[in-house]
Amino acid sequence: MVNDIFTFLVGGKAGEGVKKAGSVAAHIFSSMGQRVFQMDDYMSLIRGGHNFSIVSTSTKWITSHYMKADLLVNFDKRSCETHINDVADGGIIIYNSDEQEDVDGVGIPFSSEAEKYPMKNLMYGVGAVAILASAIGFKKEQMNQSIKNQYPRSIEDNIKFANTIYDIVKGGCQGKFLLSKGEKERPIITGNEAISLGAIAGGLDTYFGYPMTPASSILHFLAKQAENFGLAVVHAESELAVINMAIGSTFTGARSMVGTSGGGFALMTEGISLAGITETPILIVLSQRPGPATGVPTYTEQADLSFALSAGHGDFLRIVASPGTIEEAYYLTAEMLDLVWKFQTPGILLTEKHLSECSMTIDIDVDKAKWAKPKMYQGENYKRYHDAEDGISPMLFPPSKEVIKWNSYEHDEFGLTTENAEMIAKMHDKRNKKLKALVEYLKSQYTVNIIRGEMTTNLFAYGSTYMSVLEALRYGGLNPTIVQPIYLNPLPAWELEEFRNQDNVVIEQSSTGQFTALLKEKAGLKIRSTIKKYDGRPFDPIKLSKKIKEVL
Amino acid sequence: MDNLKTYAEVTWCKGCGNFGIFTALRNAILKLEEKGIKREDIVMTAGIGCHAKIFDYLNLSGLYSLHGREITTASGFKISNPNLKVLTFSGDGSGLGEGLAHTLFAAKRNMDITMILHNNSVYALTTGQFSPLTQEGWKGPTTPKGSFEIPFNPISLLIEVGATFVARCYAGDINHLTETLIRSIEHEGFSFIEVLQPAMPYHKWEEYRSEIEFLDKEPKTKEEALNVARNSHRFTLGVFHQASRQVYHKGLYEDHNPIINKLSRDARLDKIRKILVIKNRK
Repeated sequence: MVNDIFTFLVGGKAGEGVKKAGSVAAHIFSSMGQRVFQMDDYMSLIRGGHNFSIVSTSTKWITSHYMKADLLVNFDKRSCETHINDVADGGIIIYNSDEQEDVDGVGIPFSSEAEKYPMKNLMYGVGAVAILASAIGFKKEQMNQSIKNQYPRSIEDNIKFANTIYDIVKGGCQGKFLLSKGEKERPIITGNEAISLGAIAGGLDTYFGYPMTPASSILHFLAKQAENFGLAVVHAESELAVINMAIGSTFTGARSMVGTSGGGFALMTEGISLAGITETPILIVLSQRPGPATGVPTYTEQADLSFALSAGHGDFLRIVASPGTIEEAYYLTAEMLDLVWKFQTPGILLTEKHLSECSMTIDIDVDKAKWAKPKMYQGENYKRYHDAEDGISPMLFPPSKEVIKWNSYEHDEFGLTTENAEMIAKMHDKRNKKLKALVEYLKSQYTVNIIRGEMTTNLFAYGSTYMSVLEALRYGGLNPTIVQPIYLNPLPAWELEEFRNQDNVVIEQSSTGQFTALLKEKAGLKIRSTIKKYDGRPFDPIKLSKKIKEVL
Repeated sequence: MDNLKTYAEVTWCKGCGNFGIFTALRNAILKLEEKGIKREDIVMTAGIGCHAKIFDYLNLSGLYSLHGREITTASGFKISNPNLKVLTFSGDGSGLGEGLAHTLFAAKRNMDITMILHNNSVYALTTGQFSPLTQEGWKGPTTPKGSFEIPFNPISLLIEVGATFVARCYAGDINHLTETLIRSIEHEGFSFIEVLQPAMPYHKWEEYRSEIEFLDKEPKTKEEALNVARNSHRFTLGVFHQASRQVYHKGLYEDHNPIINKLSRDARLDKIRKILVIKNRK
């Protein structure tokens, strides 16, 4: 084990409980007080193929999985062949001895043992947990307890199967990786759960979505929690419907959010523009996957940044921000909900598959979430688009004796359609004033995360790449300054001033370097080099630390 | 503004069928008020097209939506505050062209809104192209040799996909239109009213007047309604179908109201803490 980090990899076909086994492992580590980071790699199919789950654990804060695993459990030959080079020094490979021989590892007759049970292949995941339990020195009773908690269906069969595997694997790996106890047990959540919970904490009332990986799990989580929190959660007919329903919902005073990935977001841009002119507070979660078009549905990328920054036709303010960690996803979602309501304009929470679907142990101060509340109008003769000094017109919602008109056409202050030259220009000016007000406000907020180092080079990253960079630096024992802008529009150039002419390196997951271009254009940064990865996979800290060393 | 009019300059062509719809609607709202419905509870959306200009003229709260999206905006109103009475004004291009999917889904869901489809059988505002309801042979700027697509039958289409109040009216019969509007707004469920409405540069009132006929009686079942809708003349007026079925928001959250019964911040944070604890044990 390197640097006190233990990594467990489990791989097999979809439908064999790969992801579940990874998540059970994560909970076992966390119950020991350890920190955990879990990454699931799966193909866009329902059954078969090759999926794997990697869980890295440590007593210290860990912000990435490691691709070099200490214990690899392969349910089939394909998995074993795929991961034969993913084994760390001193690591152990478990293979399915019913499918192959001559592997330098421990063979387990998964297929023939599982065949004895009615659930068949579904037993594999339980087997992986049994192997892990043995390797980390769990007694059978401890293992059985975990299995009972985690696999509530067919408990007896599961325990029987686990005990069989535990006994078979005994000679090969029992007690090989004894883990130390950490300081305390922590909850484990995914990025999408953090986003959902942050939205609820921030005052969410309605959520609209259309299934699209990697944003679907927000829709699933909120649909499940709808009754508990009194929300309306709607699976609509298309992303066109999603965004427009959400805008309608906002008109009645509901705090509304939608979520999607690139293709769905493209459909939503028509509605984002509508939100711009109607001055609708609306939060859009854009979880990026590799594009263009359908791209690679279940993998990660950061190539929708420039699209998000300019989404929707016409001049209007789009607030764009991206969380660097799962904890930050919770706070930032509530904060963005608050911001879009403060400034009555669409906001985009930009994230990636890597953050959306990875899970980790978290320390969240639930109460720190902001609460979205609009500036309300008092009095008579209401004008929806009253030209206030800061451009922000107070709001009213139906039912009201006052008439409230929101309008997709250019409009006068009351909200009726206009083609009057003076009024058109005046309304542009009114809306544009909001940017100035927003920048003033953000100057008092935490908009860039800077970790000061001792080297002369600064590393820039945004979104989940920040987590990869942190782990790579820890692994490599490097300490350059790290700069992670949380806000991407407006980009907090006022915070980046000091770095302008220093030695800057960008790390991002876009083949054309969209983030690099943004930093150059909006912050005037001189950038020496960009480390890019665009194969759909997140960075591996070991490989990334080598690349960083090369450029430092 | 007790006549329900705003200060906007009315820019419909002289003699346009939209005037009849505008008048009938204002009559209907006044009558609904007499019946105890509060004006402030009535909200509206409109698509984009000649029909939608009614948004600027009618002094009611609402959102002037995008072309084809008026039904989704209206659905958003209803889903977040089911106490509101929601009207959505639509055109044959907006509601059955660009927004066809939304119209069908609102009917499928039995969304409790009233959709008033101004049918002038043409894209009037964009200079006379054929619409989803235009008869074959129409020579417009996009069909110089005459259109060769068959038009939808909006009545049978909407009955088929689940609308629970389906009627056809005529902008030239304000009394019938007013009464039907009142019925549709009082109806719980998705109401669809197709209003035949001449557009002056393209039609003459006489073409309508000579063809208008009324249903002998309202069909009793969906099958009967479909049968009548399929076999009757496209200028046949009346209520083709009315039925009772669970509305969308009741299926979603029964008698809850997400805005009015909003959970406090403290209650939410308590529940979030519980979720984070449970997640750990599970």
